[in-house]
Amino acid sequence: MDNDTPTSTPVGDRLPGLLEKLDSATQALANAPDFAKPGKLGRVLDIARRVMLQEGGCAAVEERAEILEEAGLYLGSDWATPHILVPSLTTHSLKSPDMATVVIEALSELRLLAVARGDYTHPLISQEQAHHYLTQVMAMNLSLLFSGPSEAERETQGRLAQLPRLLLQHLASRIGYEHVIDRLIEEIWRILHQRPIQVDSVKQMITQIAICQVDPEIDLGTSGQGADRLVSSLYGPTQTCREDPGVAVFAERLRGMDGQALQMEATGFARAMHDTGLVSPYHAILLRHLMDHGDYLVAEALGLSSTGRDCLLCYRELVMALIREAVHPTTPQSAYGMALMLERGILYQPAVAPSLWRQLALPLSQWSRDRLQMAYGDVATPRALLLEGVLCMLGQPLGVGQGNNPTCQSARALSMWGFNDPDYLLQMVAWAARDDEIIMHFEGQPISSRESLSGVATELPMDLDAVSLLVVPHLDRIYAEMGRRCVDRGGDPHRWVNPEFHGWWSGRGFRINVDVETGLLVDLEDFLRHFYASYHPYYNGNQPLIHPQPAGIAVTDSAARFIGWHAITILRVALDPEDYMRVYFFNPNNDSGQDWGDGVTVSTSGNGERFGEGSLPFEQFASRLYIFHHDPLERGELADISTEELERVIDHMRRSWGAQRLSGEQLQATSGA
Amino acid sequence: MEKNPSKGYIALLGWSLNAIEAAENFDRRYVVVAPDWAEEYCKQHDIPYLPWNFERLNDRSMEIAQTLQEMGVDVAVPLFEETVEWAGAINSVLLDNPRLLGQAMLMRDKSLMKRRAQLGGIRVGIFEEAHDRDDVIRFLKRVNQTLLKLDGDPNDPIHFKAFDKAGCLGHRVIRTPDDVDAIPEEEFPALMESHLDGWEFAVEAWVHNGKIRFLNISEYVTLGYSVFVPASPELERYRDLITRQIEKLVRTFDIEFGFVHPEYFVTSDDEMYFGEVAFRPPGFKVFELLERVYGFNAYQAMMLVFDPKATEEEVAAFFPKEIVDAKGHAGCFGVYPRRRVVSKLEIPEETEDHPYFESHELTPPIEETVTKRTAFGTHWGLIFFAGEDPHQLRDLLKHQEELDFYI
Repeated sequence: MDNDTPTSTPVGDRLPGLLEKLDSATQALANAPDFAKPGKLGRVLDIARRVMLQEGGCAAVEERAEILEEAGLYLGSDWATPHILVPSLTTHSLKSPDMATVVIEALSELRLLAVARGDYTHPLISQEQAHHYLTQVMAMNLSLLFSGPSEAERETQGRLAQLPRLLLQHLASRIGYEHVIDRLIEEIWRILHQRPIQVDSVKQMITQIAICQVDPEIDLGTSGQGADRLVSSLYGPTQTCREDPGVAVFAERLRGMDGQALQMEATGFARAMHDTGLVSPYHAILLRHLMDHGDYLVAEALGLSSTGRDCLLCYRELVMALIREAVHPTTPQSAYGMALMLERGILYQPAVAPSLWRQLALPLSQWSRDRLQMAYGDVATPRALLLEGVLCMLGQPLGVGQGNNPTCQSARALSMWGFNDPDYLLQMVAWAARDDEIIMHFEGQPISSRESLSGVATELPMDLDAVSLLVVPHLDRIYAEMGRRCVDRGGDPHRWVNPEFHGWWSGRGFRINVDVETGLLVDLEDFLRHFYASYHPYYNGNQPLIHPQPAGIAVTDSAARFIGWHAITILRVALDPEDYMRVYFFNPNNDSGQDWGDGVTVSTSGNGERFGEGSLPFEQFASRLYIFHHDPLERGELADISTEELERVIDHMRRSWGAQRLSGEQLQATSGA
Repeated sequence: MEKNPSKGYIALLGWSLNAIEAAENFDRRYVVVAPDWAEEYCKQHDIPYLPWNFERLNDRSMEIAQTLQEMGVDVAVPLFEETVEWAGAINSVLLDNPRLLGQAMLMRDKSLMKRRAQLGGIRVGIFEEAHDRDDVIRFLKRVNQTLLKLDGDPNDPIHFKAFDKAGCLGHRVIRTPDDVDAIPEEEFPALMESHLDGWEFAVEAWVHNGKIRFLNISEYVTLGYSVFVPASPELERYRDLITRQIEKLVRTFDIEFGFVHPEYFVTSDDEMYFGEVAFRPPGFKVFELLERVYGFNAYQAMMLVFDPKATEEEVAAFFPKEIVDAKGHAGCFGVYPRRRVVSKLEIPEETEDHPYFESHELTPPIEETVTKRTAFGTHWGLIFFAGEDPHQLRDLLKHQEELDFYI
């Protein structure tokens, strides 16, 4: 994945030559009569693209903003009227696979930059308006500012993916980071609230903020004050390391401390870790140091409650061995995973502790070692990286993400096992990491991941946590093979695949409201009444959900347009702090907080969610649901929900993914009811 | 641009946006003569326009000539192979010179053209007309007998060119009877020629008052793939020889004014063989390459030398000096997909990052399966290069043949 270098090969400075070409292409465009301009445009855009990919290219284009516009660059397009451009649309255009769209958007941004800087007096948009617009653009595209292209972007955009990033960096350096920082901080807290296992991109964003804060060139003004906790949790959680002295100096300072001082340190680090879910490399140093200073201090440093402390004391040897092997300054998140795992009490399940001992001694196959190293480099040994991943998955089973890969099913399975069946998860890890093969059974027939050649993902996913990195390729192939074994059955294969793939607790009863042949909605009322009867505590005898259940939702975008089918896990259905019935669920998509349009916005905090859960009011959730499982032996009768409530759910469907799928008959039935 | 009523009024025959743009930016009045599908566009953009469907010359040919005459048009300039005979017919009326039609007909028939050249003392290869496939087989056999080949020896190829198609369209290389079977019926009648082992090149020459006013030599790197201007010093050393050949051509074809685009071979013993000549702008965007290096607009140059009202001084001042006024060299490469199935356009990094790379006109593939090339075929788009060193440019163009642009 990293063999295609983002920008150019260093054969001297290409910029002057390209600028000469850009100027002559611009001249040709300017000279052309209006009818001939479209024919000259392609060349200008193509050269502008190459210019902007060079260092200093964006600045050079900014200088030419006025000349480019006067040449007729935006003539006849939406960009000709910058005062009505919508900032939020840039997130789509900058990620477009179409070169022309990306380039013209970038050129327009640079033009507005020239306007905002006062270098270009535009007839249609004022300096202040342009400034405001660009601030919003930067805030909307923060991820472009601070992260490299995802695999998906590389796939669709290729080398072009670098362009929006260079653009955003240029905008930020000219407009000022202070205008984006606050928005960024909000965003980071929102993501951290979901406690993801993978925190590299968050760390990167925080690092950017820290750099801005210490850069005397950047005046953050009053902004960025909320960043203190974030920055300190990584670079200086306590007084002893406040000035980020480096691990060697910190280790030296620890050696000179007495019990009282160490206690202070332990509490400070624990607070920072539990506040943010982020672990400082210093924390790892501290934990390793405390191993010789008694269990009490270790428990303090992990911020354990009485449950976690009990667990630690019961399995002292195991925990110490895990700290020794897994917790290093380069794998600090293992400490957080460990703390949460101890808190969950899963070590008391008989098979878990022995499984972890196996994990500690597990020899990794060459393929596994290579893959870990390819994804993470040699910051730590493959074994330590995998152990960190295992601890995090056991501690934060709802923090699993599928990366930018179509493997939501596999990510969901891993999360479900980590949550519900941890020793089974550890078994899977052992098979995958040691044997390069997983065998699962489908209706009595063994399926080997080695013999099933292709999975859902066409390429090996790389942007994953350590456990997923090794296990997902196997699961994905097995999942695809199970699907292949159902092709001739008719209907949706998840009916058979889900229970066999995820575990015995997935209900064998299955409901779907989409006709696979036609894509139309069918049996909508029955489907919804059955769903209420199975899951809604008011209609199922107040029975809380026992096991996590796989379910399928129709994902829609913020304009409520259908995007695709997606696998999630229903975790619980309960009243929220406002006494409103909500469905709490796990979404293997990396960020659950999504706007599905038509007022349906998935909440990730503030409505009684636990870390990693997303939630929606029951009705809204039902309106996006298309598949659920149930126990066929449990209550079969349909819930007696009011027609008003049913209507509200169906209306949500009609206004979103169901718009084209509701047949006339149903429309009649519901409007007549 | 402001039009000068004392200068000629020009009719452009055929639809070419580049030509229209050149006319718009030139000081002469113009009118575009094109099929009626162009009407709406011309109205929308205020382009002077006269509808005409160019089919074969017929009874109505006089009509368009008279219309143009009544409008006060001085001369018609052909932009495409198909409009060459129309320009001849119209100009014979406008300029009251009936021989212009005959001249144009010569240019439209590859076989007549060759005979005329031969009559004028210009060297040509062995050639013959073919009306059906048997003619082709016979010619292939005879040529190879002449070369003292035995049965079973690999044949020397022959070239097969539909009479009235431009450039590489309908140009096939025939080696075996199987190749003959692959020729579609509609490409007959055609001209067949023996293969000349030599260096093929093309010339663009603007003629005014019977004299060559500007002569460019276009060097083919690979026929049908790539060309650059001005030619390398190795080919330019023949310039005097070539100029004499073109003068002979101008005399033989009795050309008083206009633009010729002939193709020649030069063999290893410095002998020039005439291939064919066209009376319209060359393919492969050579006009754009010329503008890139010399800075003059070749369409405007055409309108100028066609214009009976153009003066000696104006013509002399318009053209730069060959070679010495050229800013480097410019070339282009026609891309053919190399794979059978393609899904996207991707300019190779090494091409895009080369300092000589200028721009491209490639578009994403419309269909995934690539149809097999039969004749020299049509490329999927051009890539433009420009730079100082002709040899580096030539090697660069050659190298493009080994790269995939569609994957």
